[in-house]
Amino acid sequence: MKRRTFLNWGTAGLGTLWAAIGVSLGAVVRFLTPSVYYEPPRNFKIGTPADFPFGPPTFLADEKIFVFRDKEKGFAVASAVCTHLGCTVQYFTSDRRFHCPCHGSVFASDGAVLHGPAPRPLEWVEVTLARDGQLRVDKNKVVSASYRLMV
Amino acid sequence: MNPFRDVWQSIFRRDPLSTDKGKSELVFLNLWLHIHPAKVHKEHFRVKHTGYLGFLTFYLFLVLVTTGVALMFYYRPHPPEAYQDMKDLRFVVFLGPFLRNMHRWSAHGMVICVFLHMCRVFYTGSYKRPRQFNWVIGVALLLLTLGLSFTGYLLPWDQLAFWAITVGTNIGSYAPVIGPGLRQLLLGGHTVGESALLRFYVLHVAVLPSAVVLLTMVHFWRIRKDGGLSRPLWKLRAEGSPPLVRIGEPAEPELRAVVLPAAREKTYGLMEVVRGKPLFEVVASAEEEEEEKDVVFSYPYAFFREGIALLVTVASVMALSLFWNAPLEEMANPAKTPNPAKAPWYFLGLQEMVSHSALIGGVVAPALMVLALVAIPYLDSNPSRRLSERKWAVWAFTVFALANVVLIIVGTLFRGPGWALVPPWVHIQGAE
Ligand code: HEM
Ligand code: FES
Repeated sequence: MKRRTFLNWGTAGLGTLWAAIGVSLGAVVRFLTPSVYYEPPRNFKIGTPADFPFGPPTFLADEKIFVFRDKEKGFAVASAVCTHLGCTVQYFTSDRRFHCPCHGSVFASDGAVLHGPAPRPLEWVEVTLARDGQLRVDKNKVVSASYRLMV
Repeated sequence: MNPFRDVWQSIFRRDPLSTDKGKSELVFLNLWLHIHPAKVHKEHFRVKHTGYLGFLTFYLFLVLVTTGVALMFYYRPHPPEAYQDMKDLRFVVFLGPFLRNMHRWSAHGMVICVFLHMCRVFYTGSYKRPRQFNWVIGVALLLLTLGLSFTGYLLPWDQLAFWAITVGTNIGSYAPVIGPGLRQLLLGGHTVGESALLRFYVLHVAVLPSAVVLLTMVHFWRIRKDGGLSRPLWKLRAEGSPPLVRIGEPAEPELRAVVLPAAREKTYGLMEVVRGKPLFEVVASAEEEEEEKDVVFSYPYAFFREGIALLVTVASVMALSLFWNAPLEEMANPAKTPNPAKAPWYFLGLQEMVSHSALIGGVVAPALMVLALVAIPYLDSNPSRRLSERKWAVWAFTVFALANVVLIIVGTLFRGPGWALVPPWVHIQGAE
């Protein structure tokens, strides 16, 4: 075999080997990424607008969200998951702030961090009106703190 | 014809243990014992050299495998059965609480022992040439031990487990770019849920234990290949004596001739016949005679001591398990956060740092710590193993170890609701 032929085949062989390893690694990561998530849905309906009072936000424990309803401004939904390490924050009507029980983060009612280790404001997520007249929340869609749904 | 003797001899082919040949054959004809050399230095088996901490770690691992497999007979890794099974183990299964306690306490013990073992290796300078790589293997084993303990923590599926893993995995998601993706891959979801439980279970009972077993084998093998345990500090040769053969380097010509005169009554293992006698640590010739006296057969000297260490380990774990129950709280409830929510104790130092700065405390500092640990044997070019000659290294490591211990103590005992600084002797009304 000629030196050149040998080197060409050798390079091609090694290249294929590395490509195969790369593809396999990709396949492993993809295999481990579930195609179906068996967990509480991230896109769900929470009831009709009339279910929610004006004033202090309503806390939905299973969905871990706060539903705000304002006379002029309409609906907004904040995630109750603390941006620090994922504990569930509580809303205090006394000071109109969110308090995290875990490491003391405090958030203003617009979600901004006031105290504590939380690095980011609370997340606001999209709320829309579904065709059947129910409110639909999509946790996969993060919106700005000024997002409002007028009904 | 004695059939009993036939059977015995078909299993044990060695000569009687009363002979030197028998004593060496006991070691090297036996799969489980041949990790030992046929002969050992008595001095290396002094408690004040190793503290037997590596042995303790290994024995605790054996206890964990045994009790863990027993628990597996009654455990289903799916909510809510997982929690019901823990209740059954606690109240219904015969010996259930005892086995579960043993598993829990040896898991904590293993984390403690593996850390102390690392400290001992550091302070005796035993990571230095030619043992650098075995230190690196050790760091991997330390991380695997933490991984085992962390994955095991979720399995009871109670409030403690759920929130510790929620908080713990969120610390990881602070890693830039890959953090959130890694967390999702580990949990198999966006939050801790049924897929997370199954994944942690598989990691806990199959993947990580196998990795520990494999790396432990490499760890032990390397001890032998690096010339046995390091020489105790008090046996280090006087300064200025000539260096002998070093692993990985050709011997200097004048040093090749250290073969001792063959003694007739002595049994030689292959490794002793190989040219130059496997002296990896230096013995000045004046000390050689004393050296010879220090060497004894592994049987019974080493095996007896290792056996005692095993007995002490198992007995202590059993004693603890008789009197202290492993905690089991209410069933995991994602809607209700306990206050404060804490990661497992060995990650509380991390959590303490994260409560000050998420990115630096949760990602940068720990990554640097692991890197620094791995790099120690390569950064530390000082050949001396004497404490007095490595002041800077000793000082730096002590700060590192103490900082970890202090942070863990603060995180465990001094953090109350809202992560406020609360001394453990103050009781806060209404706090659970
Ligand atoms: C082959 C080895 C192992 C097996 C088969 C195993 C198996 C199990 C099983 C089935 C459980 C669930 C039942 C329970 O929670 O008690 C469990 C829990 C646990 N394991 Fe392991 N395990 C092994 C090794 C380890 C190691 C090396 C560690 C840590 C160093 C560890 C730490 C834990 C912890 C902290 C728990 C929670 C225990 C508790 O709730 O009381 N395990 N293990
Ligand atoms: S999880 Fe909210 S402050 Fe840490």
